[in-house]
Amino acid sequence: MESLKLNILGMARYRGREGQLSFILHRLAGLGTLLFLAVHILDTSTVYFFPSLYEHAIDIYRSTPFMLGEIALVFAVIYHGVNGARIALFDLFIPDRWNVETQRKSAYWSLGIAIVLWLPAAYMMGRSMLVHNFGL
Amino acid sequence: MATNTNQVQLNQAAAPEGFESWAWKWMRYSGLLLIPLAWGHVLIQDILVGVHAIDLDYVALRWASLGWRVYDFLLLAFAFAHGVNGLRQVLNDYIRSDTTRKRVTWLLFILWLVLSLIGAAAIVGGVRAP
Ligand code: HEM
Ligand code: HEM
Repeated sequence: MESLKLNILGMARYRGREGQLSFILHRLAGLGTLLFLAVHILDTSTVYFFPSLYEHAIDIYRSTPFMLGEIALVFAVIYHGVNGARIALFDLFIPDRWNVETQRKSAYWSLGIAIVLWLPAAYMMGRSMLVHNFGL
Repeated sequence: MATNTNQVQLNQAAAPEGFESWAWKWMRYSGLLLIPLAWGHVLIQDILVGVHAIDLDYVALRWASLGWRVYDFLLLAFAFAHGVNGLRQVLNDYIRSDTTRKRVTWLLFILWLVLSLIGAAAIVGGVRAP
């Protein structure tokens, strides 16, 4: 119970201004990816359990709303990864560098790096959607 | 009194070894490992290949090589355990009762076990003819 409290207090320390923003984004991105992954494990496993269903599942992923969702999913996986790496590297290797100033700066850096990595991916996926779903 | 951030840090460094401390480390190490694993998978499947080129034959072709099966197995093991433990931590932020926490933890454990077994069975069994 004591360690649980410490853990929650520890998470609470990620809150406040830029930290609050990255805390919420990190949480939503992680939960969104997890929701996708749970469905994804089930649809992939149809290749073994119900092979005739697999193409139907993939057909759904090819629809425009789902392709837009995949572009968002890629942002979630990239942002959660960059920001998670920030948290992990500070916590594990340089914990004494956690202070308001480094957190503020590194939070902006995570968001910036994530957007820069995501833009080319979004471009390629967006183009693929226009080509396949709108005959461009 | 000393209420600067360094003081807080010192207090936290004294956290006892135990399940939560182990889970805390797990989230960080597995997360770092997921950068190559999850990003590599998404880059190949979603960005370079794309859902329009994916079908049963495609999966059969990939799983014909043991290397990709091992890769997918590691991805399954690390991403799902990381994600479900993350969900447990999020829920613990909002659940106040100890009994409910225990029940939710068991529920999540069963969910994790069942889905992991289903996913692993598919990787081991491979693609079957429709
Ligand atoms: C929308 C983007 C994605 C596409 C198009 C995609 C595609 C695929 C495909 C075709 C497979 C079959 C196996 C193979 O070909 O290697 C697969 C399996 C798998 N993918 Fe993805 N994937 C995506 C996103 C993700 C993400 C974000 C994760 C992790 C967080 C993930 C985790 C997995 C796992 C664990 C398996 C094995 C599933 C099982 O054993 O049933 N995928 N994916
Ligand atoms: C790409 C590499 C990834 C890295 C570097 C990473 C890193 C992290 C770290 C360090 C935490 C702990 C945050 C904290 O204690 O405050 C975390 C939480 C979490 N992660 Fe990941 N992760 C990655 C991928 C994933 C994937 C693929 C999923 C989904 C299956 C996921 C789902 C979650 C969830 C649900 C949480 C809990 C969020 C919270 O406590 O607010 N993560 N991640």
